[in-house]
Amino acid sequence: MDQQQVLLSVQDLNFKFTLRGQVLHALRGISLDVYKGESLAIVGESGSGKSVFVKCLMGLNDANGCVESGKILYDGKDLAQFKSDAEWRALRGHRIAMVLQDPMTSLNPLKTIGWQIREAVELHQNLHGDAAKKAVYEILAEVGISDPQRRYNQYPHEFSGGMRQRVVIAIAMACKPEILICDEPTTALDVTIQAQILGLIKEMQKKYDLTTIYITHDLGVVANVADRIAVMYAGDIVEVGRCEEVFYDPRHPYTWALLSSLPQLGVKGEPLYSIEGTPPNLFHEVRGDAFAPRNPHALKMDFVKRPPMFTVTATHAARTWLLDPRAPKIDPPEHIRALREKGRQLGLTKGEECANG
Amino acid sequence: MAKYMLKRILHAAITLCVVICIVFALLRQMPIEGYFNNFDKMTEASIQVSLNKMGLNDPLPVQILHYFGQLLKGDLGVSNRYRQGYPIVKIIAQKAPISIKLGLISLAVSLAVGLPLGILMARSTRTRWKLWDKFGTVFIVIVQAVPSAVYHLLIQLYGSEILGVSMLFNDRNPMTWVLPVFSLSIGNIAYYAMWLRRYMVDESNKDYIRLARAKGVPAGKISRSHVFRNAIVPLVQYIPQSILFTLMGSLYVESLYSIPGMGGLLIQVIKLQDNTMVQALVLIYAAVSVLGLLFGDLMMALVDPRISFTGKEGAR
Repeated sequence: MDQQQVLLSVQDLNFKFTLRGQVLHALRGISLDVYKGESLAIVGESGSGKSVFVKCLMGLNDANGCVESGKILYDGKDLAQFKSDAEWRALRGHRIAMVLQDPMTSLNPLKTIGWQIREAVELHQNLHGDAAKKAVYEILAEVGISDPQRRYNQYPHEFSGGMRQRVVIAIAMACKPEILICDEPTTALDVTIQAQILGLIKEMQKKYDLTTIYITHDLGVVANVADRIAVMYAGDIVEVGRCEEVFYDPRHPYTWALLSSLPQLGVKGEPLYSIEGTPPNLFHEVRGDAFAPRNPHALKMDFVKRPPMFTVTATHAARTWLLDPRAPKIDPPEHIRALREKGRQLGLTKGEECANG
Repeated sequence: MAKYMLKRILHAAITLCVVICIVFALLRQMPIEGYFNNFDKMTEASIQVSLNKMGLNDPLPVQILHYFGQLLKGDLGVSNRYRQGYPIVKIIAQKAPISIKLGLISLAVSLAVGLPLGILMARSTRTRWKLWDKFGTVFIVIVQAVPSAVYHLLIQLYGSEILGVSMLFNDRNPMTWVLPVFSLSIGNIAYYAMWLRRYMVDESNKDYIRLARAKGVPAGKISRSHVFRNAIVPLVQYIPQSILFTLMGSLYVESLYSIPGMGGLLIQVIKLQDNTMVQALVLIYAAVSVLGLLFGDLMMALVDPRISFTGKEGAR
């Protein structure tokens, strides 16, 4: 892993919104490296700051939010210092493109599909006239839309949801980006279409050597596409690791809870597990571990001091005091122990005994 | 698209015919002295002779058919009391041009000021102090909340003093047009600015605007070809109506500046009980509203590709 090239590096990023005089601390010191060519999935519940985080990478947050401290290093520049629209425009689409959640609303209803893809082609491929039109036909065919010549002149309302998401992907591809951010790309689609769209994104990734960042709260999607997973909670990344490490050897109590609430892991006849309580209010300062109030395994320390990132393996780290050598031995819930056992048997994770194992 | 438009036009034509029939039938219920200038001095016999001559003793369906025939020739009949024996078309032709001229100028002014104001307000909601938005909101609230009679008077009173022109309208002195035009357009300015701002703010929070920004489209182009283009759609429906209604003149403003326009005509002829005039004017007003709605719908269909699909075809 470490010989992989770091493409984008976020270091201790703090992002705040000002709402009616109150300050909302949306991202609390996030650090994350994105490697070239990988698929990274960011998971977490609603309001955990996933979307704000990726919008930071493109400068798309609302004007009442600002980066308070930290760095976003990409291509030799610190994006956290970007102020003007012009600086961001050199990056948006051109280097980093985005696929939004709801294809029903992410296309302009009054413009033809062709016009909307062409807008990106003209901006980023510097093609005009017939050449631009030809490029649009090619992209449409590439994302699996048949009869591009006819489809070019159609409006979004003449497309189904899945087809529209293909168009949105076509727009992203027309920009020829290096990084593709998919903000819950399949949440609004029905299950049969989900697999098609994920397949298409994977295909594009292979073809264009893209680095993809997925945002999702669907762990099924994660298992399907991700090389690495970052788990977010209350504006912070609490655990990050390779897909199999996070699934089969989770270390943070929040990840335990998240995995335990998967319906696939539930026992027939028993109620499904759900995480008690609600995430902290980020208008107030969070003391210690943000998950501590909802965590049945919380240590005293969790309420006092914010844990640092503890390294589990070279690729796996978690922000919990449980990984401190001084911490008491706490057994993870039954589901998680079963998962860990399964991972060991499959040889996906190493069988070593850990501080809290 | 063509099918949709034809359907709409047909609907409008049917509505208009029904309106004509109703107006005609209702006005037949009015006292017959409305058809004569000197009813009191006429003998019963001469009244009957005149009624027969005007065809008013025929059965109602015959009269209506006759009236439709007249209308098709562009004949609205003659006035009986307002100006006896004078063709109504000519009376209107004398008064309408001034109302139309002032109406069109004020409409152009209200679009030229109202739309940019709305855009400025919408764009300033993204800035720190929102100066334009605050200024515009104050203006809109004042115009909407204060009764129009009050600010029309104030405009006339102080405006004529500031500009140093006469309080009354004079067709040959363009300076005297300024105040009536201002009075006529101020309400529409507030209207256009308010709704355009609102729709633009709505649109700029939509997902496709986020996608356009993520695509790297410059802010100016997003504002023009995405936000404005979508925000203007609901306003487009209102514009033809407001054009046609400003053409009909404003009673209050016209009487304030004593403009010889269409403004007070209907009320005048109702007071005079001039039946044929009332009939003709009510018809014109009705036709204007029907046409306004029709053009509004047609323009909506032109600017919004979704409209003509809202029938049974639907989206796939």
